[in-house]
Amino acid sequence: MRRLFVAAVFAIAACAPSLSVAGEAERADLIGKLCGDTTSLGDGGRALTGIAADGSKDERAWAALIARAVLDRKLSCDSKGAVVISSDGSLDVFTHAQRTASEESRSPLLGLKNRALFETAEAALALRTAPDAARRNAALRTLERQASSLPEHLFEAAAKQENDTGLKAQMAAVAQAAALNSADPAKRIAALARIAATPDRRALTQVRALIADPAYAANPELKRAVDAAISTIGRGIATGDVMATLYNGLSFASILFMAAIGLAVIFGLMGVINLAQGELIMIGGYVTWLVQEAMRHLVPGLLDWYLIVAIPVVFLVTAAIGIGLEAILLRHLYRRPLMSLLATWAVSLFLINLVRVTFGTQNLNFVTPFYVTGGVPVIGDFIFTWNRMFAIVFAILTLALTWGLMRLTPLGLNIRAVTQNRTMAGCIGIPVRRVDMMAFGLGSGLAGLAGLALAPIYSVNPQMGQNFIIDSFMVVVLGGVGTIVGTVVAAFGIGQVNVLIEPLWGAVAAKVIVLLMIIAFLQWRPEGLFAIKGRRK
Amino acid sequence: MFSRRSFLQATGLTAAALATPVGTPAIIRSAHAASGTVKLGCLFSSSGTMANIEGRLNHVVRMAADEINAKGGINGRTIEVAVSDPASDWPLYAQVGKQMLEQDKVAALFGCWTSVSRKSVLPVVEQANGLLFYPLHFEGDENSKNIVYVNSPPASSVLPAVDYLMGEDGVSAKRFFMLGSDYVWPRTINKQLKGYWKSKGIPETAWKEEYVPLGFSNFQTLVNQIRAFADQGGGKPIVVLTVVGSSIPDFLREFANQGIKATDVPVLGLDMVEADLEGLNTEPLVGHLNCWAYLQNAKSAANAAFLKQWADYVKAKNVPFKGNVVIDPMISAYDAVHLWAMAAAKANSFDVPEVRKAFAGLSFDCPSGYKLGMTAENNYVSRGVFIGSVNEKQGFDVLWQSKDASKPVPFSPYG
Repeated sequence: MRRLFVAAVFAIAACAPSLSVAGEAERADLIGKLCGDTTSLGDGGRALTGIAADGSKDERAWAALIARAVLDRKLSCDSKGAVVISSDGSLDVFTHAQRTASEESRSPLLGLKNRALFETAEAALALRTAPDAARRNAALRTLERQASSLPEHLFEAAAKQENDTGLKAQMAAVAQAAALNSADPAKRIAALARIAATPDRRALTQVRALIADPAYAANPELKRAVDAAISTIGRGIATGDVMATLYNGLSFASILFMAAIGLAVIFGLMGVINLAQGELIMIGGYVTWLVQEAMRHLVPGLLDWYLIVAIPVVFLVTAAIGIGLEAILLRHLYRRPLMSLLATWAVSLFLINLVRVTFGTQNLNFVTPFYVTGGVPVIGDFIFTWNRMFAIVFAILTLALTWGLMRLTPLGLNIRAVTQNRTMAGCIGIPVRRVDMMAFGLGSGLAGLAGLALAPIYSVNPQMGQNFIIDSFMVVVLGGVGTIVGTVVAAFGIGQVNVLIEPLWGAVAAKVIVLLMIIAFLQWRPEGLFAIKGRRK
Repeated sequence: MFSRRSFLQATGLTAAALATPVGTPAIIRSAHAASGTVKLGCLFSSSGTMANIEGRLNHVVRMAADEINAKGGINGRTIEVAVSDPASDWPLYAQVGKQMLEQDKVAALFGCWTSVSRKSVLPVVEQANGLLFYPLHFEGDENSKNIVYVNSPPASSVLPAVDYLMGEDGVSAKRFFMLGSDYVWPRTINKQLKGYWKSKGIPETAWKEEYVPLGFSNFQTLVNQIRAFADQGGGKPIVVLTVVGSSIPDFLREFANQGIKATDVPVLGLDMVEADLEGLNTEPLVGHLNCWAYLQNAKSAANAAFLKQWADYVKAKNVPFKGNVVIDPMISAYDAVHLWAMAAAKANSFDVPEVRKAFAGLSFDCPSGYKLGMTAENNYVSRGVFIGSVNEKQGFDVLWQSKDASKPVPFSPYG
């Protein structure tokens, strides 16, 4: 898409009737600025924004290309001017002929101040020239934050040529909001209403500044509008904060739940304290990566969907590892909890080092698919981030499937029977050993899925599993051994309490307080939130 | 079939045969060590949370030793490098360090990344009167005659970077969000920074300080807090990031995901190196900053030579790290081995007091392009400073660099 666009722009520019002499001089001047020192580079950025507002169509198309190239460090300056490196090769900025930069060329590097100028210029140019509406929309979002510092007629001009009605209305709104500091009180009041429509802290700061404005005291109508805007924005921020806290709590809970559910099955059923559970999560992350790499080679077009394709693969691989572990090692250690604890610890060390030797210690490089990138602002300062949403939805689906499996299938019935009373279940003919094996496989598979769900959020490396083992034991013990409902409620509780404490006393205190709360709770109810009713051995 | 007797004989013979090469050469080896080799010890973890960044330093020390050996060694001896694994467990650094100094009789130790591990080794090297070369930039406020601080204290690394951000060339930063891992390095750095800002007349309301446990990864709420802090107005905000290890990529990922760009709120990552960006999509992170005494993109002939040397070494020795990623502590460890070798050659001895006396006046051409120097005053090394800016290719572009290697100031006058 981008490649086509670049080619098209150059084609248009090349076919256009040759530029006036003045235009050419301007271009040369601009390139001179871009190739100069830091200060003149900044002037160049401002000049590009100026072109977005006032330049002709050809000028804008040309400037858009230059602005993008500077941001991407694809502009190389040399003695003859400059070249832009695109996917079609390197092209001269003036003649659009193929030309490679001379040896001593250099590409201007943007400091943060200049980068901001060029991001603005690029967005302003994209607003006028980008062929697809989504890009123009994104550009508008970038510009609205600094609308008041931009030339006023930029938005008017953009709105005039805009053919997407929704976007057109938004441009008008941004232009209206930009008039907050204009001389006309009516315009200011309209701007206030516009700004209050997107209530966040930035807007609050902006509006609050008006209280110091002499017009605030002088004009009662403006005063009323400002006060109204402040209270609307305040309400919006409060709502946003509540939603953000809930969302953060829910997302942390989903991570805790994913890490703990496999353990809940294994610990609940067999009483085996599986210290290798975290490593099964880690292996889930690595299998996800292997699926990604396989897809990169086999079906590069569908690469973005690797997270979905990996689901069955990850589950089966980690479940198989779990079954293998059970059959080779743990089977012989039932009724000896201390030994199985040590054995699984050894397995955990072994797996960490195996992965370390095979893959190295670095964080794995994951492609970030579009459905787990970025987020949408909802209200106030609450941003709905897609990678967290992915984990939440994934956790809910896992919960539903696990619950269904436990409640609705013969295997689930057997697992529940063995959990309640192993000896009696054996007596009535349930193949206890096979159920153990299947349950261990299920628990391991679920841990693997946790690794998959975490891949877009956390770094995947050989050590990642170690972070989860304590948290997941906390969840399982608090929830009550062997209950899915308990695991869900405990994960949600711990997640939410953590998120509530963190902003008040910091993340370190949050961890300590949560741990103390759990200890206190277990003093009162040693069997956890939801104990299985019935006789235990 | 073996008869019982022949089986016993065979086993006995095998055992003797096995024992011979293991048993006898122990004597030969130590005798050999006395005449032909000198031992250096590495204290870098190859497992645990620091494994990814510390692990590669073992190989750099080996590479530097090989380089010196190829030129004929020092004082007629070749260098032998002993490697250990303290497993990112801070007290273990002291234990392993003690073992290396007392049993292996190493001439010098090269090691530690976090300040907490250095603090735990400090009494051990002081007691044994050994030498530890420490390759990380750190919080300063320490001056042991048994530790060589190869990298910069804050006055010559952090403050120039913060000054840059507060100045016209940077972003004229007025407000500061300090986020760090909860241990001695971030806390001391932040204390000094607060003292520095106070001395500049910046009010206390202009900063906020938060700490997370080591290995923390769930930064959602903290990034929310940063956004709220940034939107309060009152001047340009920046984040001074002192989290370490795997927390760095986890923080950056969340930061980008909540849509904050470097031009909105720049992050100055004081422990952020090229290796931390390895698993990240850095496109939305372009423009964030770090500051070190070396960056891979430093322009110098010595750097080009080092990059090639490392790439070749990785290929030749099958090192499990990337041949095209070089980070500051690698360079500092490399410099450290050379500084030690130069001092030992100058003193014509491997005795610690002799070697230490020889430090004064040493100078070495660092791959960063600066000339390192040491004085008789202390065991600090003067280094240059770079400010780097994250680029799309998981690396850092050099945004600013100091004119020359500044004289290090061990004790901070601020706080």
